[in-house]
Formats: sequence, structure tokens, C-alpha cells
Amino acid sequence: MKILVIEDDETTGQFIARGLREEGHSVDLVTDGRAGLIEATGGTHDVMIVDRMLPEIDGLTLIKTLRAAGNRTPALFLTSLGSVEDRIGGLNAGGDDYLVKPFAFGELSARVAALARRPPAQEQDTVLKAGGLEMDLIARKVTRDGVTIDLLPREFAILEHLLRRKGRVQTRTMLLEAIWDISFDPMTNVVETHISRLRAKVDKPFDTELIKTVRGAGYRIDA
Amino acid sequence: MKARLTSLLRSMPLRLALALVLLFTLVSLISLTATYLVTARSFDQALRNDLTQRMAGFRAAPNALALAQLVEAEARETDPERMVLSYFAPNLRHYGNAALARDSEGYHVVSLSQDSPRLTGQYLALTAALHGGQLTIARSRSEIAALRRGFLNILVLSLVPTVLVALSGGVLLARRSARNVQAVAHTLDKLTTGDLKARVGAVPAWSDDLAEIAGRIDQMAEAQESSVAAIKQVSSDIAHDLKTPIQRVAVHLDELSRHAELTGAAAEDLDRAQAEIDRIVSVFGSLLQIAQIESGTPRSRFRPVDLGALVAICVDLYEPSAAETGHVLAADLAPDVPAVPGDRDLLLQLLANLVENALRHTPPGSRITVALKLSGPAVRLAVSDSGPGIPEAERENVLRRLYRLDRSRGTPGSGLGLSLVSVVARLHGAEMRLEDNAPGLRVVLTFPDVVGPGSS
Ligand SMILES: Nc1ncnc2c1ncn2[C@@H]1O[C@H](COP(=O)(O)OP(=O)(O)OP(=O)(O)O)[C@@H](O)[C@H]1O
Ligand SMILES: [Mg+2]
Repeated sequence: MKILVIEDDETTGQFIARGLREEGHSVDLVTDGRAGLIEATGGTHDVMIVDRMLPEIDGLTLIKTLRAAGNRTPALFLTSLGSVEDRIGGLNAGGDDYLVKPFAFGELSARVAALARRPPAQEQDTVLKAGGLEMDLIARKVTRDGVTIDLLPREFAILEHLLRRKGRVQTRTMLLEAIWDISFDPMTNVVETHISRLRAKVDKPFDTELIKTVRGAGYRIDA
Repeated sequence: MKARLTSLLRSMPLRLALALVLLFTLVSLISLTATYLVTARSFDQALRNDLTQRMAGFRAAPNALALAQLVEAEARETDPERMVLSYFAPNLRHYGNAALARDSEGYHVVSLSQDSPRLTGQYLALTAALHGGQLTIARSRSEIAALRRGFLNILVLSLVPTVLVALSGGVLLARRSARNVQAVAHTLDKLTTGDLKARVGAVPAWSDDLAEIAGRIDQMAEAQESSVAAIKQVSSDIAHDLKTPIQRVAVHLDELSRHAELTGAAAEDLDRAQAEIDRIVSVFGSLLQIAQIESGTPRSRFRPVDLGALVAICVDLYEPSAAETGHVLAADLAPDVPAVPGDRDLLLQLLANLVENALRHTPPGSRITVALKLSGPAVRLAVSDSGPGIPEAERENVLRRLYRLDRSRGTPGSGLGLSLVSVVARLHGAEMRLEDNAPGLRVVLTFPDVVGPGSS
């Protein structure tokens, strides 16, 4: 993927760029809003990562300007700590996602991957499959290797979410946002307990592990 | 209306006016009554003297005939309404301008002239047996009655206008002063709820003492605003200066963990460092968030929020964690609780903080209930548990930033959860109370504002 990073803090900018390059993306890194706007108007990037506070032109104005000009490149806002306004302001301005600094690289990587492939594949499918698992979305039935698995509605929703994003990591915060529409970080390991309940039904009775834990990032069902 | 009346009655100027009116009325009553009594008594005395003197004059007559002629002569000149003269002579004839007639109601003076056959009113009479007959002279007391009427008139004419003027003046003043006091109170309210820009701005027409108070309040607010601004500046400078380095440390640690192949103690150190930086970030984030909400998150972002839906989300989210630690977490939702105007994300976080507290600060096996119901016109949200509770003396303290009970030293957390709950509650105009759930803690939030009937 071709990714544009507009970030004025050098350490953070290099960190993002290096990480993304290691994952095989090509990265353009600029450090102010004006340069960012010029780069972005080319319209050749798959995803933009934009710091909200930028010299010259701030991130919000930048995205608003691009959107007004018809540029639809998915954008992820980076916001600094403790700003209540940021999420809603950013999303209203035309941002597609946001992330509060500091963040683990795994979080950024997972979100960038999610942005690039919006909307999720298989939207039309009525049956989702992975390994020996089949989820019938209409009958709301799940089987694995032909064995029926009884899931509670919430467990069903989590599994469906992971299945629809097969091969991509879903972080704890992404799951919180998608399943419960929660934008803060609960202190206790609530997501882990939900996943382990799900695993107890989906994985434990079988030989292979379907829901993988990705260290320092989140969970994934392999394609 | 009734409340307005009582508050008016309790206002200072009206009370003063009422007291003055009462005093004035009392003094007038006493002095007028005394004057009247004295005057009436001396009038009476004068009447008596007059009667005795006249009687003495009549006694001077040598015989009955002379007396009869004297009476007759004087009677002709005298109006019986003023004075009655009556002589029953020994020859059984009657002389005078009126006679005493007797009927079932007692004695009446009956005039001898045609036009006023019967006289009424009080008379003071003196009777004497003279020359074998009976002479009665009586003077009307109508003048005293007139005097009384006069005094009553004076009383009414002087008191009624005074009372009316004083009362309406009092009400007017009371209204005005109530308005002024209201202005001061309104400003104080704003100041205490965090609007440090509020000022009374005294009007020149105000009374000196009130204007003085208003001036002092404004001065105080000025000083407070500037010192708060200074503190805010310092802390936001600190926050800003620290944000970037913290972020960089986190970045370096993250890179280290992804690239360096650390093993054993080094890997553990790195994990610990990352956990610490996470904690710093979270405390820092919470402090900044609390400060920002306190400094006034725009209420314009408020939308109708269905608290019942938020409770459902929370219970659903925490139920597995609760089960894992042996807690029983349940929702108790009354039907048809209306929505409240608010910030959904903040309210959800408020609820999550309370549920997390109940999970974290109570022993396994405790029961946690999140209840939502209507309480009068307000919406009441309560999170209760059956744990150790918070001692009464500590209930104020735990709302302070970074404050934790001694017994909680061993559990994770930083003492910011309830601080956030309290500022979010204040932002929503909700009253927050920590109560004894006997046993356990019950946190009750009462939202006075609601938006229409809600979905259940
Ligand atoms: N439900 C409860 N039962 C007993 N004690 C409580 C309860 N809730 C809070 N407390 C006490 O009040 C203190 C302050 O609570 P608060 O939520 O502000 O901080 P915390 O839970 O310790 O940390 P944080 O919420 O920041 O992670 C706690 O440390 C605990 O001692
Ligand atoms: Mg807490």
C-alpha cells in the first residue's frame, strides 16, 4: 500500500514510517500541513495518517479541504492525549478513524489495514467460513467440523466481526468500538474475558486454534 | 405563586415596612383612644356640672306655679334633642319640652312638639322632687357620640392611607431588592458551578450596602479567575511539555519490543517499563480529560441519551469479567424511563467507572446492581454493591483526584475514576450521592433534565 504520513513530531513520524515500511508499505512522510496538502492532492495514496495538530495547516482543516475537493482517501487522525473534542471533531471533519497518542504500533497497523479495505469484504455473504467453521448469518447457526456450537448473541457478534475481517488483526479497542460502541479504554481486561468465553466454545473442543492472539496487538482469524 | 408570596413576605424591606406600619397603627390607636377618653370624660363632667347648676336655679323658684312657669319658659327656647325639661306638677299637669313616657322597652323621652315625637340617643338626667312635683332635666350626650365618631373618622382617615402607602412601598422595595439579591445570587451560583467569568456588575441605583457587596464579589471573582487561569496555564504548559516526551518514550519502548530480541530479565524489564508507561499515559490522559470537562465541555454536543441502553451495554460488557471474579452483575431497568440530554460517551464512561469500582473494590461473591428508574420528574441511576462500602467520613475525599482509601493500596487504579464520575455528573447537572447500601456502596445520580418519554 501507499501511505501518506503527515506528522510534525520527528520521533513519532519516523516510528510510524519505519514500522509501516517493515510491513511492506511504501510511505511518504511529511512534517507540516502545507506539504501534506500538496502531497495528498496527488490522490495516489491508499491511506493517510494525519496528526491533528500540525504547523502551517492543522489536520482538521487539511482533511476538510481535501474532502471538499472530492478526495476520498481514507484518513486516520492522530490526536494527542486528553482531548475530549478530538474524536467527534475529527470524524465530523471527514476523518475515518482516530487514534490517541501514544499508541502501540500494532494498533496503528491494524487500523490502517481496516481503513484500506473498507467496507469489509463478504458484506453480501450469508455464510461466513474459516477453517472448518461455518457461520450461517440467516439461521444464526454456527458449526465447526459439522458440530453445532451454541453461542450467545454477544459471542455471535464478536465471532461474526472477526470472520468478516478474516486475516486481519482486530485490536481490543477496535472490538470495543465495533461491538459495544465504546471509545474509552476500560481498565479491566474485559475484552479478553469475552474472547476466552468465545474460545471456550469455538476452539477448546477442537484440535486447532481458530482465534489467534497477536502479541501486542489483538486477535485474528486466519483466512 | 404561593412560594413567591412567602419569599416576598420574608424579604427585608417588606418586613421593615410591615413592622413600621404595625408600630404606627399601635401608637396612633393608643394616643387617639387616650385623647378620646379624656375628652369624653371632661365633656361628661361639664354636662353634670351644667345639670347641677340648672337644678339649683330651678330650686330657687318659690312655689310650684313659679317653677312650672320657669320650666315652660325655658322649654320653649330649648330643643329637646339637646336638653329635655320636664316637670310633673302637683296638679298632675305636665310642663316642659318633652315627657318621659314609659313603654315595654323602658323609659323614653317623648317630645311634646309635633315633629319629633320620640327622641333617641343617650341623655344624662337629673331628677329632683320639687314643690310636690317632680322635675327632670336631661342633657343629650349626642355631642360625646359625635366626638367618638369624629375620633373614629380621624383614625380611619389617617391610618388607612398610611398603611396602604407603607405597604405598597414595602412591596415595591421588596420586589426591587429581591431582584437585586437575585442578581447577586445568580452570579454566585455561576461562579460556584465553574463559570469564573460571571460578574454581578452593580447598578448605580442599588443601595450602598448591596452595591458594596456586589463590588466585593466581583473583585473576588476577578482574583479567582486570574489565579485559576494562572494555574491552568501552568498545568497546561506542563501537560503540553510532558505529552511529547511521554509519547516518545512509549514509541521507543514499542520499537524496542518489536525489534530487539530480548530474553529473560531484559524482556521482563521491558514489559515492566511498558506497563509503567501505559499507567502514566492513562493517569495523564484521565487528568487531562477531567480538567477539560471541568473547564467546560460544550453542552451544545448534548443529544438525548437513553441511559437504559448504556446500562445494558455496561452490564453486557462487564458480565464475563464479573463472573470470572465470582461477582453477580445485574441490571434493574424500569420501563419507559425518558432519555436525558447528555454526552453519550462520557455517560458511558461514568457508568463503566462505577461498575469497575464495584468489581474491583468488593470481595468475590458480591452483588452489583445497576438500577435505572424515574424518581418524580427526574431520572435516577444507581450503582450499588454489597462490598465494604466507603465510610461516611471518606465519601467527600474519594471524589478528589488521585485519592484512594488505604485499604485499596493493593488493588490497581489511580484514584481518578470517581473524580471523573463527579465532573461528568456536574457537567450534566446531575446530583451525585454516595450512600450506604448496608452493606456496600450505592452511588446515586439524579438527572433533573429529561427529554420527552424515552424508549424502554
Ligand atoms: N464500590 C466501592 N466499594 C468500596 N470502595 C470503593 C468503591 N468505589 C470506590 N471505592 C474507594 O474509593 C477510592 C477511589 O475510587 P476511584 O474510582 O476514584 O479510584 P480507583 O478505583 O482506586 O482508581 P481508578 O478508578 O482511577 O482506576 C477507591 O480507591 C476505593 O478505595
Ligand atoms: Mg475506580
